[in-house]
Amino acid sequence: MSPELKTEIEHEVAAHKILVYGKGTKAAPRCGFTLETIEFFNRFGYPFEVIDALDNMPKREALSELTKWPTLPKVFINGTFYGDTDILEPMAQSGELAKLLEATFGYAPADKQTINLR
Amino acid sequence: MIEDASIVALIRDSLPDARVEIVDWSSFGTRDHFNITVRSRAFAGKPLIDQHRMVYDAIGAALKDGRIHAAQLKTIAED
Repeated sequence: MSPELKTEIEHEVAAHKILVYGKGTKAAPRCGFTLETIEFFNRFGYPFEVIDALDNMPKREALSELTKWPTLPKVFINGTFYGDTDILEPMAQSGELAKLLEATFGYAPADKQTINLR
Repeated sequence: MIEDASIVALIRDSLPDARVEIVDWSSFGTRDHFNITVRSRAFAGKPLIDQHRMVYDAIGAALKDGRIHAAQLKTIAED
Protein backbone atom coordinates (compact mmCIF):
# COMPACT_ATOMS: atom_id res chain seq x y z
CA MET A 1 0.00 0.00 0.00
CA SER A 2 1.52 3.31 -1.08
CA PRO A 3 1.96 5.93 1.64
CA GLU A 4 0.02 8.42 -0.52
CA LEU A 5 -2.99 6.10 -0.61
CA LYS A 6 -2.83 5.53 3.13
CA THR A 7 -2.71 9.28 3.75
CA GLU A 8 -5.54 9.92 1.31
CA ILE A 9 -7.72 7.38 3.12
CA GLU A 10 -6.79 8.71 6.55
CA HIS A 11 -7.73 12.24 5.47
CA GLU A 12 -11.05 11.09 4.04
CA VAL A 13 -11.91 9.09 7.15
CA ALA A 14 -11.02 12.03 9.38
CA ALA A 15 -12.97 14.51 7.23
CA HIS A 16 -16.37 12.80 7.50
CA LYS A 17 -18.20 11.71 10.65
CA ILE A 18 -20.03 9.07 8.60
CA LEU A 19 -18.12 7.83 5.56
CA VAL A 20 -19.19 5.07 3.19
CA TYR A 21 -16.72 3.69 0.65
CA GLY A 22 -18.93 2.08 -1.94
CA LYS A 23 -19.55 1.21 -5.55
CA GLY A 24 -20.95 4.29 -7.22
CA THR A 25 -22.00 7.58 -5.68
CA LYS A 26 -24.91 8.79 -3.58
CA ALA A 27 -26.57 10.09 -6.71
CA ALA A 28 -25.71 7.00 -8.78
CA PRO A 29 -25.08 3.93 -6.63
CA ARG A 30 -23.91 1.03 -8.77
CA CYS A 31 -24.36 -1.85 -6.33
CA GLY A 32 -27.30 -3.06 -4.31
CA PHE A 33 -25.38 -3.02 -1.03
CA THR A 34 -24.16 0.54 -1.60
CA LEU A 35 -27.74 1.65 -2.29
CA GLU A 36 -28.92 -0.24 0.81
CA THR A 37 -26.26 1.52 2.92
CA ILE A 38 -27.31 4.93 1.59
CA GLU A 39 -30.96 4.19 2.40
CA PHE A 40 -29.88 2.88 5.80
CA PHE A 41 -28.21 6.18 6.74
CA ASN A 42 -31.04 8.22 5.21
CA ARG A 43 -33.18 6.81 8.03
CA PHE A 44 -31.06 8.50 10.69
CA GLY A 45 -31.11 12.11 9.48
CA TYR A 46 -27.39 12.80 9.88
CA PRO A 47 -25.14 13.92 7.02
CA PHE A 48 -22.94 11.24 5.47
CA GLU A 49 -20.46 11.00 2.61
CA VAL A 50 -20.22 8.28 -0.05
CA ILE A 51 -16.90 7.86 -1.83
CA ASP A 52 -16.91 5.76 -4.98
CA ALA A 53 -14.09 3.20 -4.96
CA LEU A 54 -15.51 0.88 -7.62
CA ASP A 55 -12.94 1.45 -10.32
CA ASN A 56 -9.93 2.19 -8.09
CA MET A 57 -8.44 -1.23 -7.40
CA PRO A 58 -5.28 0.01 -5.60
CA LYS A 59 -7.47 1.99 -3.20
CA ARG A 60 -9.85 -0.93 -2.71
CA GLU A 61 -6.92 -3.18 -1.86
CA ALA A 62 -5.50 -0.59 0.53
CA LEU A 63 -8.88 -0.24 2.22
CA SER A 64 -9.25 -4.02 2.54
CA GLU A 65 -5.76 -4.25 4.01
CA LEU A 66 -6.38 -1.41 6.49
CA THR A 67 -9.75 -2.75 7.67
CA LYS A 68 -9.13 -6.52 7.31
CA TRP A 69 -12.49 -6.55 5.48
CA PRO A 70 -12.61 -7.77 1.89
CA THR A 71 -15.79 -6.22 0.55
CA LEU A 72 -17.44 -2.92 -0.31
CA PRO A 73 -19.30 -1.03 1.08
CA LYS A 74 -17.08 -0.13 4.03
CA VAL A 75 -18.46 2.21 6.68
CA PHE A 76 -16.50 4.45 9.04
CA ILE A 77 -18.18 6.39 11.85
CA ASN A 78 -16.13 9.00 13.71
CA GLY A 79 -12.94 7.48 12.36
CA THR A 80 -13.79 3.92 13.45
CA PHE A 81 -14.50 1.09 10.99
CA TYR A 82 -17.89 -0.64 11.40
CA GLY A 83 -18.01 -3.04 8.44
CA ASP A 84 -21.33 -2.67 6.61
CA THR A 85 -25.07 -2.86 7.29
CA ASP A 86 -24.70 -6.50 8.36
CA ILE A 87 -22.98 -5.02 11.44
CA LEU A 88 -24.87 -1.71 11.63
CA GLU A 89 -28.40 -3.11 11.38
CA PRO A 90 -28.17 -5.07 14.65
CA MET A 91 -26.62 -1.95 16.25
CA ALA A 92 -29.57 0.10 14.96
CA GLN A 93 -32.07 -2.38 16.41
CA SER A 94 -30.37 -2.42 19.81
CA GLY A 95 -30.32 1.39 19.90
CA GLU A 96 -26.51 1.35 20.12
CA LEU A 97 -26.14 3.13 16.78
CA ALA A 98 -28.50 5.99 17.65
CA LYS A 99 -26.45 6.62 20.81
CA LEU A 100 -23.17 6.47 18.85
CA LEU A 101 -24.45 8.90 16.21
CA GLU A 102 -25.81 11.32 18.78
CA ALA A 103 -22.47 11.27 20.60
CA THR A 104 -20.58 11.67 17.30
CA PHE A 105 -22.62 14.64 16.08
CA GLY A 106 -23.54 16.14 19.43
CA TYR A 107 -27.23 16.46 18.60
CA ALA A 108 -30.26 14.26 18.21
CA PRO A 109 -31.33 13.87 14.58
CA ALA A 110 -34.08 16.03 13.22
CA ASP A 111 -36.96 13.57 13.46
CA LYS A 112 -37.93 14.31 9.87
CA GLN A 113 -38.90 11.30 7.82
CA THR A 114 -36.84 11.14 4.59
CA ILE A 115 -39.12 10.25 1.71
CA ASN A 116 -37.42 8.34 -1.10
CA LEU A 117 -39.02 9.61 -4.30
CA ARG A 118 -38.06 6.79 -6.59
CA MET B 1 -20.79 -19.44 -9.65
CA ILE B 2 -20.37 -21.72 -6.67
CA GLU B 3 -22.40 -24.55 -5.19
CA ASP B 4 -23.80 -24.26 -1.67
CA ALA B 5 -21.84 -27.34 -0.61
CA SER B 6 -18.56 -25.69 -1.64
CA ILE B 7 -19.35 -22.64 0.47
CA VAL B 8 -20.16 -24.87 3.44
CA ALA B 9 -16.91 -26.79 2.93
CA LEU B 10 -14.89 -23.58 2.80
CA ILE B 11 -16.48 -22.37 6.04
CA ARG B 12 -16.07 -25.72 7.78
CA ASP B 13 -12.37 -25.76 6.86
CA SER B 14 -11.94 -22.79 9.21
CA LEU B 15 -14.87 -23.39 11.56
CA PRO B 16 -15.25 -27.16 11.88
CA ASP B 17 -18.33 -26.99 14.15
CA ALA B 18 -20.13 -24.46 11.97
CA ARG B 19 -23.76 -24.99 10.99
CA VAL B 20 -24.30 -23.08 7.75
CA GLU B 21 -27.48 -21.95 5.95
CA ILE B 22 -27.22 -20.50 2.46
CA VAL B 23 -29.79 -18.62 0.40
CA ASP B 24 -28.88 -17.87 -3.20
CA TRP B 25 -30.44 -14.57 -4.21
CA SER B 26 -28.50 -14.16 -7.41
CA SER B 27 -30.52 -12.96 -10.32
CA PHE B 28 -30.30 -14.71 -13.70
CA GLY B 29 -29.03 -17.88 -12.08
CA THR B 30 -25.46 -16.60 -11.71
CA ARG B 31 -25.21 -18.27 -8.29
CA ASP B 32 -22.83 -15.63 -6.91
CA HIS B 33 -24.96 -13.54 -4.49
CA PHE B 34 -25.67 -15.28 -1.20
CA ASN B 35 -27.13 -14.82 2.27
CA ILE B 36 -24.92 -16.90 4.52
CA THR B 37 -25.90 -17.66 8.13
CA VAL B 38 -23.25 -19.35 10.26
CA ARG B 39 -23.67 -20.78 13.76
CA SER B 40 -20.50 -21.67 15.64
CA ARG B 41 -19.08 -21.82 19.15
CA ALA B 42 -15.98 -20.10 17.79
CA PHE B 43 -17.93 -16.82 17.73
CA ALA B 44 -18.62 -16.86 21.45
CA GLY B 45 -17.38 -13.72 23.18
CA LYS B 46 -16.26 -12.04 19.94
CA PRO B 47 -17.58 -8.72 18.64
CA LEU B 48 -19.96 -9.12 15.70
CA ILE B 49 -17.52 -7.49 13.28
CA ASP B 50 -14.84 -10.06 14.17
CA GLN B 51 -17.33 -12.90 13.77
CA HIS B 52 -18.00 -11.66 10.23
CA ARG B 53 -14.25 -11.30 9.59
CA MET B 54 -13.87 -14.99 10.48
CA VAL B 55 -16.46 -15.94 7.87
CA TYR B 56 -14.93 -13.63 5.26
CA ASP B 57 -11.52 -15.16 5.93
CA ALA B 58 -13.02 -18.62 5.41
CA ILE B 59 -14.59 -17.73 2.05
CA GLY B 60 -11.81 -15.31 1.07
CA ALA B 61 -10.55 -17.38 -1.87
CA ALA B 62 -14.06 -17.56 -3.40
CA LEU B 63 -14.52 -13.81 -2.92
CA LYS B 64 -11.15 -13.02 -4.52
CA ASP B 65 -11.71 -15.15 -7.60
CA GLY B 66 -15.30 -13.98 -8.02
CA ARG B 67 -17.10 -17.28 -7.43
CA ILE B 68 -18.86 -15.31 -4.71
CA HIS B 69 -19.67 -11.77 -5.86
CA ALA B 70 -21.60 -10.60 -2.83
CA ALA B 71 -22.43 -12.08 0.54
CA GLN B 72 -24.82 -10.92 3.22
CA LEU B 73 -23.61 -12.47 6.46
CA LYS B 74 -25.39 -13.39 9.66
CA THR B 75 -23.44 -15.00 12.47
CA ILE B 76 -24.79 -16.59 15.64
CA ALA B 77 -22.53 -17.50 18.54
CA GLU B 78 -23.39 -20.85 20.05
CA ASP B 79 -22.49 -21.69 23.62
